[in-house]
Amino acid sequence: MQKKFDIYKLIDLFIPILAVLAALAVGAVILLFQDANPLEAYSAMFSGAFTNKNGMADTLVKAIPLLLVALGVAIAFRGGVINIGAEGQLIMGALLTTWLGLQLGDTLPGWLVIIIGMLGGAMMGGLWAAVPGLLKAYLGVNEILSTIMMNQIAIQIAFFLLRGPMIDPAELEAGTNIPQSARLARSADLPRFTDMAKALGFTKTAEELGLTGFTAELYGLFVEPTRLHSGLIIAIVLAILVYVLLWRTTIGFRIRTVGENKAASRYAGINVKRYIVLSITLGGVFAGLAGAIEILGLHHRMFEPTAVSAGYGFSGIVVALFGFLNPLGIIPSAILFGGLLVGGDKMQRAMQIPQVLITVILGLVVLFVVSADIWVKRRATRRVSVEEPASPADPDPPPSNIPPAEAAT
Amino acid sequence: MKKRNWLIVLLVVLGLLLAACGGSGSTPEAAEPTEAPPKAEPTEAPAEPEPTEAPAESESVPAEGDASGIESIRIAIVMPSTVTDLAWSQAIYDALVRIQEDAGGEDVVEIAFTENMFNVTDAAAAIRDYAADGYDIVIAHGTQYGTSLFEIAPDFPETSFAWGTATDTGKDAGLDNVFAYEARAEQGGYVGGVLAANMSESGVLGVVGPVEAGDAKLYIDGFVAGAKAANPDVTVNVSYTGSFGDTALAAEAANTHIQAGADVLTGSAQQVVGAIGVAKEQGIPWIGTQSDQSSLAPDIVVGSQLYKWDGVLLDIIAKHQAGELGGTAYALTLDNGGLIMDYRDNAPADAVAAAQEAEAGIVAGSIDVIAAMAGEEQMEEGDGAAEMPDIEPVRVAIVMPSTTTDLAWSQSLYDSLVELQDFYGEDVIEIAFTENMFNVTDAAAAIRDYAADGYDLVIAHGAQYGSSLFELAPDFPETSFAWGTTTDTGESEGVTNVFAYEPRLEQGGYVSGVLAAHLTESGIIGVIGPVDAGDAKLHVDGFVAGVKDADPEVQVNVSFTGSFGDTALAAEAANTHIAAGADVLTGSAQQVVGAIGVAKDAGIPWLGVQADQTPLAPDTVVATVLYDWQPTLLEMITSLQAGEYGGKVLQLTLENGGQKMIYADSLPEDAVAAAQAAEAGIIDGSIEIVAEPRN
Amino acid sequence: MNENLTILAIVLGILHSGIRLATPYLYASLGEMFGQRSGVLNLGVEGIMLLGAFFGFFATFQTGNPWLGFLAAMVVGALMGLLMAFISVTLKAEQGISGIGLYLFGLGASSLLFKTMLGTVEGVSGFAPLNFCLSSVGIDSSFCLSQVPIAGDIVFSHSVMTYIAYALVPISAWVLGRTTIGLKIKAVGQNPEAADSLGVSVDRTRYMTVTFGGLMAGIAGASLSISLLNIFQENMTNGLGFIAVALVYFGGWSPWGVLVGALLFSTVNALQLWAQVLGLNIPSDVAVMLPYLMTILALALPIRRAAQPAALTRPFTRGEN
Repeated sequence: MQKKFDIYKLIDLFIPILAVLAALAVGAVILLFQDANPLEAYSAMFSGAFTNKNGMADTLVKAIPLLLVALGVAIAFRGGVINIGAEGQLIMGALLTTWLGLQLGDTLPGWLVIIIGMLGGAMMGGLWAAVPGLLKAYLGVNEILSTIMMNQIAIQIAFFLLRGPMIDPAELEAGTNIPQSARLARSADLPRFTDMAKALGFTKTAEELGLTGFTAELYGLFVEPTRLHSGLIIAIVLAILVYVLLWRTTIGFRIRTVGENKAASRYAGINVKRYIVLSITLGGVFAGLAGAIEILGLHHRMFEPTAVSAGYGFSGIVVALFGFLNPLGIIPSAILFGGLLVGGDKMQRAMQIPQVLITVILGLVVLFVVSADIWVKRRATRRVSVEEPASPADPDPPPSNIPPAEAAT
Repeated sequence: MKKRNWLIVLLVVLGLLLAACGGSGSTPEAAEPTEAPPKAEPTEAPAEPEPTEAPAESESVPAEGDASGIESIRIAIVMPSTVTDLAWSQAIYDALVRIQEDAGGEDVVEIAFTENMFNVTDAAAAIRDYAADGYDIVIAHGTQYGTSLFEIAPDFPETSFAWGTATDTGKDAGLDNVFAYEARAEQGGYVGGVLAANMSESGVLGVVGPVEAGDAKLYIDGFVAGAKAANPDVTVNVSYTGSFGDTALAAEAANTHIQAGADVLTGSAQQVVGAIGVAKEQGIPWIGTQSDQSSLAPDIVVGSQLYKWDGVLLDIIAKHQAGELGGTAYALTLDNGGLIMDYRDNAPADAVAAAQEAEAGIVAGSIDVIAAMAGEEQMEEGDGAAEMPDIEPVRVAIVMPSTTTDLAWSQSLYDSLVELQDFYGEDVIEIAFTENMFNVTDAAAAIRDYAADGYDLVIAHGAQYGSSLFELAPDFPETSFAWGTTTDTGESEGVTNVFAYEPRLEQGGYVSGVLAAHLTESGIIGVIGPVDAGDAKLHVDGFVAGVKDADPEVQVNVSFTGSFGDTALAAEAANTHIAAGADVLTGSAQQVVGAIGVAKDAGIPWLGVQADQTPLAPDTVVATVLYDWQPTLLEMITSLQAGEYGGKVLQLTLENGGQKMIYADSLPEDAVAAAQAAEAGIIDGSIEIVAEPRN
Repeated sequence: MNENLTILAIVLGILHSGIRLATPYLYASLGEMFGQRSGVLNLGVEGIMLLGAFFGFFATFQTGNPWLGFLAAMVVGALMGLLMAFISVTLKAEQGISGIGLYLFGLGASSLLFKTMLGTVEGVSGFAPLNFCLSSVGIDSSFCLSQVPIAGDIVFSHSVMTYIAYALVPISAWVLGRTTIGLKIKAVGQNPEAADSLGVSVDRTRYMTVTFGGLMAGIAGASLSISLLNIFQENMTNGLGFIAVALVYFGGWSPWGVLVGALLFSTVNALQLWAQVLGLNIPSDVAVMLPYLMTILALALPIRRAAQPAALTRPFTRGEN
């Protein structure tokens, strides 16, 4: 890589942002048809997600599972596998974590339960992903097909367990029969930021310190009681680790090589099948971990599976691509999307417009962002052809946002 | 290269997209709902046993007046539909034109109008424009324009404004240049009801209403009261199309009524032209309201209630020219001639005589329409209606997992809250809601937002919201929270401001089980559940127990779709049950709309639960276990206003009116009797519901 | 266990349900198959189906004529397909993601339209089941084909939309296998560069197939809202569109394979419903899981399977590679 500062790369970074703006512009027209003032709506959206402590906390809380799922999607994608099964992997991870928490909660210290729970959740997600991985590698079953089916199976397994073996005994006693587990021991709650701040000696509120405005909100976000929990730190650390894994280790290099060119990998002596299984399994590990962290940090009990997975399996894919399938890009991408989702809801409440309008705008954002990719690609090709003759075996392929997912069986 | 090409295509596609999604806004149907904001004051009137203060305040004016003394004047009117709508807008426009003619033509009275102002923002612009343009009187002919009007009026102190249906002249807001007017449509409705009941041979009347609010609701409630007063045995089927302009739907409603046996029809709003067309085709008599609709179908329109705005308008003009720019509230009544009953020759003489008698009774005061309507409401709503407690203004927010139109869990709560709002008025109960909160994280954010926003009662309408609720409830000690289905108020965790609620659906399930056992001939009944848990499980448990207690021989086949929203699978489950011999079906959750569709096509009776699913298939849904959340909501509201912010577990049972059984008239008497006996048995405790183990 | 029913009646019931339930899958999967055969994966089928369902319902609701609903669903579906083609072919965007965007857009837009234009769940009289009565073709007889034992129960009592769906299977197979268009589609999906060098317009072919796929997805949605259910409810497809995409893979990109997949999936679904109805001793969740499990298992069977189109999900740019 040349050290030369490349202005075009910077411009490329802005293209998705322009695409988002364009989508919002179209959304504005729809808002006008709904008799809502778009400027008012969007300012409600922005201020709802990014300007006060609870809004920011909501955004970040949402960014945690998005970030983790997106990391998993990115690894699988880099390895040439489309993982649509994060939804099911997340549910299975959350289930095992809950089960472990319920079993161990009273006997082991909280921190140990947390660690075991997270490891268990990650493992379960990995196992759940390994099935389509093995099916793909050894029996040629397409992973889009199998992961879609596996999602449904996970949902039903969760319902089965939550109605019977794992149901909260209090539910049976009260006769309400809601399919949810008992609450995990409080000692096994993932620490919240406010808990950590207290432990570090920050006990004063923003008001007591005389802070005002955005500083106060920012201070409040980290110190005052919000839902923000330490899962955020885990997720960001893992994002950095995944970056190292993919670009600084042999395993990562091989995963990427398999993803880019299977035939070449085979010639290079890589066990392609093994790496296919590995990349989707790693993807499942992250989705499962997302489930574990949702349980330990946020819900503290397992309930209706689709309410836990909450579509993260799908929005995670969008987040991953929006972050150029690069772990370091995925961090801001997850926060941005978290904000978009949270802000969208706030805008709905502030303006009393139908909630589904937000879904429409989200859909437009995705379509615009993915369409805008052509600019990046086109300039990349042009640049390459100007600077040096393009060669298919270019080890550093044009920096397209989205590498073609070669989904060959 | 091809750059240009696809830029053009992009534009085209964008255009298509916009047309596809935005186009909705440009059609009248789309914006209809705004035409009837719940603000319509008249809706309050029928609910209260005594007439509101409005009629007392309002001035009675003769319908006929002298137009000759009018000095040159410019009048503008902004209306929600068209001047040819044969209804609300046309009635007042025709009156204006008559005045213009009497006064000496366009030179004396200049009329300007803007039609189709279903968009309130546009209407406000129009109102302001007219005022700025120097019109002397600007009429905002729709309740929904009120808010905008009150904003605009102070800027034009020399201009008179008028609006209706309304009783508020803005005096409290310091305005002195606004007139208000309303039509006591329930009076003519009552007379029309008497006329119809006397004409009907089948004993079934059909009413095609637009939206259950305002002028239309008054008219229809009056109509029902009149029909019932003339003949208590008569059945009045009322259907609301949910829109003012949906003629196709109104036609369909008319067809439905005719199929259901109605032999006299009525209806209101501009949509009725569709219904009149159907009535004409089928030769069914029609009773009109608002404008004269006989031009459309002279043979079948037997009578009409006509709005004569002339008197009101003339008085406004006279007052304006005398320098009195506002402050009067008018009401059109039979007594002051603002409402006129127009009987046609094709109406039977005896029926007309009875109607005229009712008219005279209303004018003389011997018939109290409002009381008659209240009596009707009481019959419909049971004892609860009479004991509505006084409550302070309260702001209620609901966070729900599905939508307010799911015909199930979420809708039942929302509908009950809206009914309460109808009763107490929008200024007493403010409602906010967030739908589709299947993502618990988002729901928690919504709950916090509402609490932070100062809502008094925030309802988290799903068991999955519990953990989040307990986390944030302590931060808002002055706010009441509620959630369900659950019995956990969080007391054990030190939370004091959370109510818990749970519908004991096994009770209603049991009753409908008894009913089903009496209805089935094949001896097989099908149940379609979502997931075997929560209130769906209670329903099935109770239902099976009810069937078995009524007739141990009857077999109940139970199937679960594994999802709350899988309409297609629910439909196929219904098909399967039918193929397996079931001749009565029931089920729960929002997925069942699919199953109801199948039952409807197969002609199999359906027993509904949670929300009222009758509108979807009136002949199919023969009984409903309706969640009536009103007692629960009122209990929460009165508690919190008494300073008790939570800690109670509220159950919805048959005994406390939280669950209500609705039986269709088509049901055999013995089946209903058995079901009612079961109801009584559950309430007095003589029936104990024992759930059998199932898989 | 229910003694009143003979095994035969149960089997007939399962087959009857299976055939009917396969209708929406057939439309959506066949359409999607053409797109994939030419190299474009459209994951947005679900969204298009929802829009098709809405417009099909709304047109029927307004006019009372289900054929107009059918037409409306086709038009809307084709427009959405055109949009997908524009994004994936002309703009060469990543196909999986565009599909998810399309899905979100369709989901939101159909709900939004429902809220603003209908507001409440309504019923409509759509396509009724045909009974193939002789009296309907002018022969004076009360005989109907649906009364024929066994076959009548299974085959002759569906709505016209179901028959169209099945008729499209051999037609699709013929188009794909025996016509020039089919040849072009396959060539474009297998080796676009070669097809291009032979003068086949890759972009035009893909535009055609993806638009057609959208059109079929629109009909698939309408088959729910104006034929099978006769109602419209928000998000009424509930994941059906994604299953339809999966069935294309299952069917090995062949119309007959898609038919087998759709029938297998829907028949197992019918089977699990019957299992519950008959009170067999299995938990409902496990029963619901069955079709998904069966599909995966069927795929894991070691049968020779057609390879997917080599250029699937790969945008084509002339002169590259």
